[in-house]
Amino acid sequence: MYIIKNAMRNISRSLGRNILIGIIAFVIAVSSTVAISIKQSAQTAEAEALKNLTITASIGIDRTKLQSEAGTDRTVFRELLSSVETLSLEDMQKYSASTEVKAFNYSLESSLSGSDSFEAYTETDTVVAATDDTKDINAPVKENLGGFSGIGQQGDFTVIGYNNTGGMSNFISGENKISDGTLFNFTNDNTCVISDTLAAYNDLAVGDTITVTNPNLDTENYILTISGIYTSTSTSDSSIEMKFSTAQDPANQIYTSYSTLSAITTASSTDATVSTNTDGVELTTALRSTISGVYSFANIEDYNDYKDNLTNMGLSDNYTLTSTDVTQYEASLAPINNLSNFANIFLILVLSIGGVILVVLNIFNIRERKYEVGVLTAIGMKKYKVATQFMTELFMVTFVSIIIGTMAGAFISVPTANYLLENQISAAQSTETQQAQNLGQVGSGGGLGIAPVSTESVNYLDNINASIDLSVTAQLMGIGVLLTIVSSLGAMIFIVRFEPLKILSNRN
Amino acid sequence: MSILKLDNLTYSYDGGKKNILNGINLEFEKGKIYAIIGKSGEGKTTTLSLLSGLTSPTKGHIYYDDKDLNKIDKYKYRSKMVGVIFQGYNLLPQLTAEENVILALDLAGKKIKHKKEVAKNALLSVELGGDKVRRRILKLSGGEQQRVAIARTLCYEPDIIFADEPTGNLDNDTGDGIMKIFSKLASEQNKCVIIVTHSDKVASFADKVITLKDGLAE
Ligand SMILES: Nc1ncnc2c1ncn2[C@@H]1O[C@H](COP(=O)(O)OP(=O)(O)O)[C@@H](O)[C@H]1O
Ligand SMILES: [Mg+2]
Repeated sequence: MYIIKNAMRNISRSLGRNILIGIIAFVIAVSSTVAISIKQSAQTAEAEALKNLTITASIGIDRTKLQSEAGTDRTVFRELLSSVETLSLEDMQKYSASTEVKAFNYSLESSLSGSDSFEAYTETDTVVAATDDTKDINAPVKENLGGFSGIGQQGDFTVIGYNNTGGMSNFISGENKISDGTLFNFTNDNTCVISDTLAAYNDLAVGDTITVTNPNLDTENYILTISGIYTSTSTSDSSIEMKFSTAQDPANQIYTSYSTLSAITTASSTDATVSTNTDGVELTTALRSTISGVYSFANIEDYNDYKDNLTNMGLSDNYTLTSTDVTQYEASLAPINNLSNFANIFLILVLSIGGVILVVLNIFNIRERKYEVGVLTAIGMKKYKVATQFMTELFMVTFVSIIIGTMAGAFISVPTANYLLENQISAAQSTETQQAQNLGQVGSGGGLGIAPVSTESVNYLDNINASIDLSVTAQLMGIGVLLTIVSSLGAMIFIVRFEPLKILSNRN
Repeated sequence: MSILKLDNLTYSYDGGKKNILNGINLEFEKGKIYAIIGKSGEGKTTTLSLLSGLTSPTKGHIYYDDKDLNKIDKYKYRSKMVGVIFQGYNLLPQLTAEENVILALDLAGKKIKHKKEVAKNALLSVELGGDKVRRRILKLSGGEQQRVAIARTLCYEPDIIFADEPTGNLDNDTGDGIMKIFSKLASEQNKCVIIVTHSDKVASFADKVITLKDGLAE
């Protein structure tokens, strides 16, 4: 009991020394609190983001691999590229038969033109040029972008046929909403949904029919019945694309079932006439179409396992599984991960430097207190009691400082974390912008008419919910105890080895 | 009956190279003042540190109340059975006179309610009172510090009191005052007082004078 009393009295009698120790412990506590809470909230944020992540992926040609095989020779690359066929629906379905795949959806996309009674929506008069006969200027550009290949006319509409609602991400996300009528049927019954803009533009209502034509052959007509009209909240930041092609205007997207569109494209190729032009290139009037398959995964582990398994399932290494969700997710975590790493290093630095300072300080203190140790042991205080008293003093000072420091740290950790995160994000964004500039994608560049390729900007995790909870407090207390013990170890050893006899020969 | 007995007490520093005490046989009784005198460097302080259990003899034994000092808890011995008044007083400067005394009471394990009262009385018995009781040690004169050191040993009522050159740093009058206190302690409180000194004047207050020469006692 008197040990605690003496310890408290000693603290108040040597304030200078204890304030110094207190300030150091305080600084360590504040820094550690901020660092630990950043680390912890980064983990929570990551887990949270992962929980909300729906992962969809598709199998495509591994261009990176082909590119590295081809080296710098562009013609070799083109040859390699054309030698690898896009996966057929059957193949895609075959690879979907895996326990890791939660769902597999596919869609067919084709470009069709309108008719006299059904015209594509255009926003400005300048775009009209694209709808007249010179529209084939788009074709080579489109090919570069990996869309339709070969020579063929581009239509005014993009018609997409889904096998299932599961793949209709625009509708699932709520970007598109059926405002009138119903969704098309998934059977081959020639029903479709069109945008409200397009309906208004052509004065169409649910139940009306529309006539679309093969852009390669205007005598080839297909009639679809409008089962529903959708509104789109999609903000048309695709103004560049619209000027480039009306078919890419969200308003000119027609949604139908896979069965319907597949019946149309099959009929088109059955009836197609093939000719050879003067350059010896084979031309067909058949509608061009692209099939895409989308694999959904319940979690990132399944996605990664599946990616690893694909080669075992017989997929050639010319193909690869890619997911914009995963790349976006990974990119979105970059700032928070940077911050977390930074916090880690910071924590280690603070603890080691702080620890060393405390050790040195305590050794100095104990030398100063040698006389006190001598007196106490000479008048019969057991060494362990002296050590306990000195420890108590140190613990009291350190603990009070740590508690105050933790509170202060808790107070500033949220703004600090968010400020640091903001810096990280703007750093990441400027890198992103730099990359875009490197790719020649400067500003709005409407005149160039080139759509941004895949630099859909990343939605960074931009808010940390840094808060001090029990586990952080416990960790800090642990750190505090550890630091105090470590830093007072030197002092304790000194006390234990002290010979009380020396006190007699010390005449001062 | 003796309270302290030295049997062939031998001591050397530096692992036997420097012999200080060469076999001392002595007995001390309660109620008496002893003066161990000798020239500087004869080993007076060394003897005291052996008697107070701060170090152990190289050879021979010290018996306190017929118990071998080497076989009892020396911290308990120092804090309860004996009191040492060190040559440099060895008070804690950050504490007041009163607090220094209370610390000794705490260490002796005295379970008394009014420690302040006891400490004050101990200080009064060495003629230290008033506001000096609550002064920090460094604000007291040498004589006053000496008295605090004495009060610190008196307060827990040990059987034996050791004092190393108790008047060494004091003027004659103060020194005489201190010696009178020791005399009273022996005669009135039945303490065994052992004083180590080089001063013949101090020795004149003793019931028995022991001379230390060439490591032997006469
Ligand atoms: N710790 C020590 N190590 C070695 N020699 C010592 C030590 N302490 C004292 N001495 C020596 O022992 C002798 C006796 O010292 P001390 O007992 O202090 O004498 P006194 O108190 O009679 O003046 C002296 O010669 C002194 O130098
Ligand atoms: Mg001496």
